[in-house]
Amino acid sequence: MKSIVIDPITRLEGHGKIHLFVNDDGSLANCYFQVPELRGFEQFCVGRPVEEMARITTRICGVCPDAHHMAAAKATDAVFGVTPPSAALKLRNLVYNAFYAGDHTTHFYALGGPDFVCGPDAPPAERNILGVIAKVGIDAGKKVIAQRARGQRIIEIIGGKKVHPVTALPGGMAKRITKEEQAEMIKIGEEMVEFSKFTLQVLNDVVLANKAYVDLILSDAYAHKTYNMGLVDANNKVNFYDGRVRVVGPDGKEHCKYEPKDYLQYVAEHVEPYSYLKYPFLKKIGWKGFVDGVDSGVYKASPLSRLNASDGMTTPLAQAEYERFYETLTKDKSGKTPVNATLATHWARVVELVYACEATLAFAKDDEITSDKIFSPPPGIVGEGVGIVEAPRGTLTHHYKTDKNAIVTEANLIVGTTNNNAAITMSIKRAAEGLIKKGTEITNGILNRIEMAFRAYDPCFGCATHTLPGEMPLELVIHDAESGEVIQTAHRNC
Amino acid sequence: MGNVVTSAKPVLVLCLGNEILSDDGFGPEVARRLQDEDMHDLPADVVFAPLAGFHLLDLLVGRKRVLIVDTIRTGTAEVGTLHHFPAGALTPSHSLTTSHQISLPTALELGRQLSLEMPDVVDVLAVEAQDLETLSEELTPAVRAALKQTLDFVRSWIRQNSSEEPSR
Repeated sequence: MKSIVIDPITRLEGHGKIHLFVNDDGSLANCYFQVPELRGFEQFCVGRPVEEMARITTRICGVCPDAHHMAAAKATDAVFGVTPPSAALKLRNLVYNAFYAGDHTTHFYALGGPDFVCGPDAPPAERNILGVIAKVGIDAGKKVIAQRARGQRIIEIIGGKKVHPVTALPGGMAKRITKEEQAEMIKIGEEMVEFSKFTLQVLNDVVLANKAYVDLILSDAYAHKTYNMGLVDANNKVNFYDGRVRVVGPDGKEHCKYEPKDYLQYVAEHVEPYSYLKYPFLKKIGWKGFVDGVDSGVYKASPLSRLNASDGMTTPLAQAEYERFYETLTKDKSGKTPVNATLATHWARVVELVYACEATLAFAKDDEITSDKIFSPPPGIVGEGVGIVEAPRGTLTHHYKTDKNAIVTEANLIVGTTNNNAAITMSIKRAAEGLIKKGTEITNGILNRIEMAFRAYDPCFGCATHTLPGEMPLELVIHDAESGEVIQTAHRNC
Repeated sequence: MGNVVTSAKPVLVLCLGNEILSDDGFGPEVARRLQDEDMHDLPADVVFAPLAGFHLLDLLVGRKRVLIVDTIRTGTAEVGTLHHFPAGALTPSHSLTTSHQISLPTALELGRQLSLEMPDVVDVLAVEAQDLETLSEELTPAVRAALKQTLDFVRSWIRQNSSEEPSR
């Protein structure tokens, strides 16, 4: 097969652009998935007081501002060598779980869910939240809007604003919570838990009750046996805010469990000439290309991988759903056998939604959140810190180095989507292999089934696209593998 | 940062973008300059929001006429060119296109289906951008040069839309 080299100067800045290279016999030779990446992050940060990072980094991503706020806050705590008081940590957990509840709600009802609620072959114009409402009723729409408002209200109470919170400081939190505010958040938490039960019912009635959808979820076209990464607590239970990073192999065996500060010992980044976005991999296994298996360093960091990397959930409803998830998909409710079906990520996200709602209520009920002791003065400057949280889209790492005055000298981020870059590429290729041959007419249904492979990861495409027309476009280009010549292109707006 | 509106006026100029992403800072800069003018005499609210999707619902509810100021990259026009998409046309500007959220038309239709009071008119004014990927607090020169024309357009739009009865 002829080698295709794309000069770095002319590399395309695609937005959800997929290049497929097809051999003469119709088989797929290779697949390239291109996304844009924001540039100049380190330059932008260097020279700024490190305590600004928790506010600045919320602006680099319009989708996960709360995740960046928390990762930055944890990294900044480490830079100053300070541990926030217990009440402050509980407030951070509370606001972060409320954010998760809203974010996962949006994805299930507006982004990923429509593929199943409306069906993968439904026209794009119908495959959205309006189609979901048409199928499950107007009340569902009202519930979704109300759920979003609940999450935002808690973020506003604790975080100071509905979005882009400004509450975490090195050593704690900026704002104390009153008893009245606690009472309001308990009520919100209770409503959130009820909403999570409603969502489980929707999942059962509309998705799991449809054998065709379950078969689609479990089909080989959407399966990948990679390593799984996720933050866990001392008992290996899922934790979005704190703990150690655990990596479990496709065989269910623990590969490693590390403290955030040690991440560079375990994760390295591979570079491909056609993409600005790097491909993180497990350092001790090495980069072996876009391949599955225990001998490949490719890993996933997603709702599905978080469940696979854990031994369960800390809240009762979520634990019950965790067990049902594994019982249904692996016949082993313990979760010791990983689920490798990429589309099961949507169900895993619902398990996490239930957990986020229950955790929100549990932290809201904890009277310590109204304590006055929400801040510990930093004792000095250590000069380096790493903060890791689980963003909804995957493990998020912030790493800062500073001078003796706590001015940033180096900054590095590994964001959720970057973790999944190799796995996303592999998922697209796997889906495409089953759908595209030379001469295949590219229909909207085929495009959507390929798109579904990466939508499960909910990847960040630099937050937005800048091309006409309309919404997030997908461009698929089929090349002759020998000549590189473009055989066919297809476009659609997702 | 986004502004909190305490008493919503029926006419809204909604400036979208990100102050630290090069030309995406266009919307915030337009908002800042308009807000520096005497807001009490302006028959419209001017709001900057680094938001999209569902968040737009919160900002649009209860408004009659809305002008969205944003950036765009068509690749077919000179950097700094202003594009005006009147109500009903495609709204493909930068902040209105995201894979993580619902689109503006979907947000409007969702609001209507949920019996929320949604605007009758949503226009989009977008400047052709050069750089929307580099983290920087500076606009590129051609986009900065478009600010005066933009402010003139927005003031004119406000005057026209404040005096007209919204059409149903």
